[in-house]
Amino acid sequence: MHEINRRQAMVAVGAFLALAACSTDGDSGGDSGGAKQSGDGFAANRDGAMADYGVGKTFKAAAPLTFSILYNNHPFYPIKNDWLFWSELTKRTNVTLEPNVVPLSDYENKRSLMIGAGDAPLIIPKTYPGQETPFVASGSVLPVSDYLDLMPNFKEKIAKWNLQADLDTLRQADGRFYLLPGLHEDYWTDYTLVVRSDILDKLGLEIPQTWDDVHNMLKAMKAEYPDSYPYSDRWGIPTPGGAMLNQVFGLGSGVRGGWGFTTGITWDTNAQKFAFTGAMDQYKQMLQFLHTLVEEKLLDPESFTQQDDQAIQKLASGKSFVISGNAQTLVNEYRPPLKKANPKAKLIKIPVPIGPQGPVKADANDSRLENGIMISKKARDSKNFVAMMQFIDWLWYSDEGQLFAKWGIEGTTYTKDASGKYQLAKDVDFVGLNPGAPKHLQKDFGFSNGVFAYGGSTELLQSTFSEEEIEWQKTMNARQALPPHPPSPLNDEEREQAALWQTPLKDHANQNTLEFILGKRSFDEWDAYVKELEAKNMTSYVNLVNSAYERYKKEHG
Amino acid sequence: MVTVDRTRGHRVFRVVNTIVLTVVVLVTLYPFVNIVARSLSDEFAIRAGKVNLVPVGFTFRTYEYVASDPTFWTNYRNTVVYTVVATAIAMVMTTCYAYVLSKKHLKGRTVLIGIAVFTMFFTGGLIPNYILISSLGLKDSIWAIVLPNAISVFNLLVMKAFFEGLPVELEEAAAIDGMSTYGILFRIVLPLSKAVLATMVLFYAVSFWNSWFAAFLYMSQNDLFPVTVYLRNLIAGATTGTSVGADATDMTVATNIKSVTMVLTVIPILVVYPFVQRYFVKGVMLGAVKG
Repeated sequence: MHEINRRQAMVAVGAFLALAACSTDGDSGGDSGGAKQSGDGFAANRDGAMADYGVGKTFKAAAPLTFSILYNNHPFYPIKNDWLFWSELTKRTNVTLEPNVVPLSDYENKRSLMIGAGDAPLIIPKTYPGQETPFVASGSVLPVSDYLDLMPNFKEKIAKWNLQADLDTLRQADGRFYLLPGLHEDYWTDYTLVVRSDILDKLGLEIPQTWDDVHNMLKAMKAEYPDSYPYSDRWGIPTPGGAMLNQVFGLGSGVRGGWGFTTGITWDTNAQKFAFTGAMDQYKQMLQFLHTLVEEKLLDPESFTQQDDQAIQKLASGKSFVISGNAQTLVNEYRPPLKKANPKAKLIKIPVPIGPQGPVKADANDSRLENGIMISKKARDSKNFVAMMQFIDWLWYSDEGQLFAKWGIEGTTYTKDASGKYQLAKDVDFVGLNPGAPKHLQKDFGFSNGVFAYGGSTELLQSTFSEEEIEWQKTMNARQALPPHPPSPLNDEEREQAALWQTPLKDHANQNTLEFILGKRSFDEWDAYVKELEAKNMTSYVNLVNSAYERYKKEHG
Repeated sequence: MVTVDRTRGHRVFRVVNTIVLTVVVLVTLYPFVNIVARSLSDEFAIRAGKVNLVPVGFTFRTYEYVASDPTFWTNYRNTVVYTVVATAIAMVMTTCYAYVLSKKHLKGRTVLIGIAVFTMFFTGGLIPNYILISSLGLKDSIWAIVLPNAISVFNLLVMKAFFEGLPVELEEAAAIDGMSTYGILFRIVLPLSKAVLATMVLFYAVSFWNSWFAAFLYMSQNDLFPVTVYLRNLIAGATTGTSVGADATDMTVATNIKSVTMVLTVIPILVVYPFVQRYFVKGVMLGAVKG
């Protein structure tokens, strides 16, 4: 039949992605913009720009401007054209954004398609670090690092928060980067174990701090409730141990499995080179620990295969007492059903258990960078280019812009008291701060929208946090930060080669991760497993990355 | 005399058959009933895993909530409009093409068939299609959805086979009585082809009702999307969000809201199906025998 079903569509998009990485628009890519920029090559691009734009200044275009933007439409707060956000933005900056609406469910596919067809809007937000790489070779996105002089707020934050090393992780083989990332002042840890604190009280246990404490706690729970699996986890589909191996235990072990496995490469601080995550001793340690939990029937083996809802049901019905979670899931998904089933039950986030690495902190992706913005190459030729960069700098990177995007308008959506605490207006609800209020900050006003509001200072980030979450963050922030890994950008050819090696390696590592944890494979066979990885070109892959790292250090170091 | 009905083998067959089909029916019905039950249940009851076949904490509140979202109705209306217009266009195009192809004396008939069949095996690909539709200026209009899929080759071939099965004598008689080609098509052939027409309308309507990909590709405004895109974003969007470790301020959409949206989206097709079904079986069979 003629209709295109979903799978075919995805295959097509995938195939396209590969193609997009190969095709180039010749010499027009490359250097035309950046190299000559020092002599101010912007004479033709200054329409509407501010001559005296700088930190602390509100951007206001000299003439009404319109910029197209790819818009990631979140189902929880679907886009409305009459949001106060749009009208107030235009009032303040003289800029009208023209959103090209894409459903969140398939945002990445549409983004690839539009960039590939040369039809992308000028501003392409919601791009996570690394996702920009496939578009670099085609020359369809702008090397934004060449134009930072147009963005005073961005530069100020990088300097003030000491983010240069984090930023370097984005650099491509040509030494430039193509993504304007969201910036965090401090590391923001969020995922950890959520534990039934009333059970802890009942058993006379302290809040566990280390892996061993967690082990002991689970044993005590098991002793009291022999029929239960005290720890039954979620986020097993489609990536087994998504949060568990990435952050909950990944952070303490120093390696990232689950969601954080991605390319399978980890920076080994001791050896000062990259290694394959799935073969590292630290990774083995983590699996051994989890295997002990499974063996002693403390960790539910279904944790890796069940749906999230099932795991939550076990927690709510008192069949389990421990689960992975973050601040949001704790409040929205765990507490309400548990409260209904058992009003006396209490749930808390415990500090991320300290593992062999000692007390460390890190973001989910090991740097303080968030998803950010790509800019279409064609924007460089626009007569409003400078104005657009200033506008982006103001809205996404200035204190004023970030406050506006997150909280809205003082007096209308929020108030600020003398001590500097933000308070939502009485008739406005957001993340359960004003339950039952008739209006919603995201749904009815368009603020705190994931497309525009992210990153920023710790103060701003925590302004919507509850007291208990701020306390939790304090505990975590007192820990030692791991330095970001150094850049090791591959060139086009290497990237293609690496992509061929990555998938089989990742599949094999993932599959064996589960077998080791569940005890289907004994740790005696670890060496054999590493050999199997060797047979799948692990060493060649790691060498490729390490040589890219050396090369980059020599050329741009 | 032992009839087929009485043989031991047949009795066994009937028992096994009944059991197997009953299981199939249950397996097929269960998700439906479950979704309907969820749509009528209290959200916390669903999270606590209490809802199975019967609603717990019976409420219509979720229906009221979904119905109060103007975007849902705008998108629902779009689906209806797209489906009706697309089906109408598809029927006209497919019928004309199939009728022409059914005439053996037509010169170049093999070439015409070849052109159609070619597209079953080769397509231009996603990007070229996208560029084509953009260059034609069809983006953000209903035509981007209804025109590219106007002829389904599978349906075309079924119809062609059906038309070939009609007695030539009927058309010859009409021609001798002085009827024009179009007259023959409209007053002789089509009235005799109700079965296949009904089947084709059903095929097309269902596929247009369920389709989301074309709209996803070519539409860039929220109030142009069909309800399938709305639904997909609601269901797939929420799961994608958490799987990449989304921002803490991102919320997931409650299960009962998803269920209500699913029920409301499926109902029209579910209601129409039984009425068209009797044509459906007949129509496909008639085409197939001659094939």
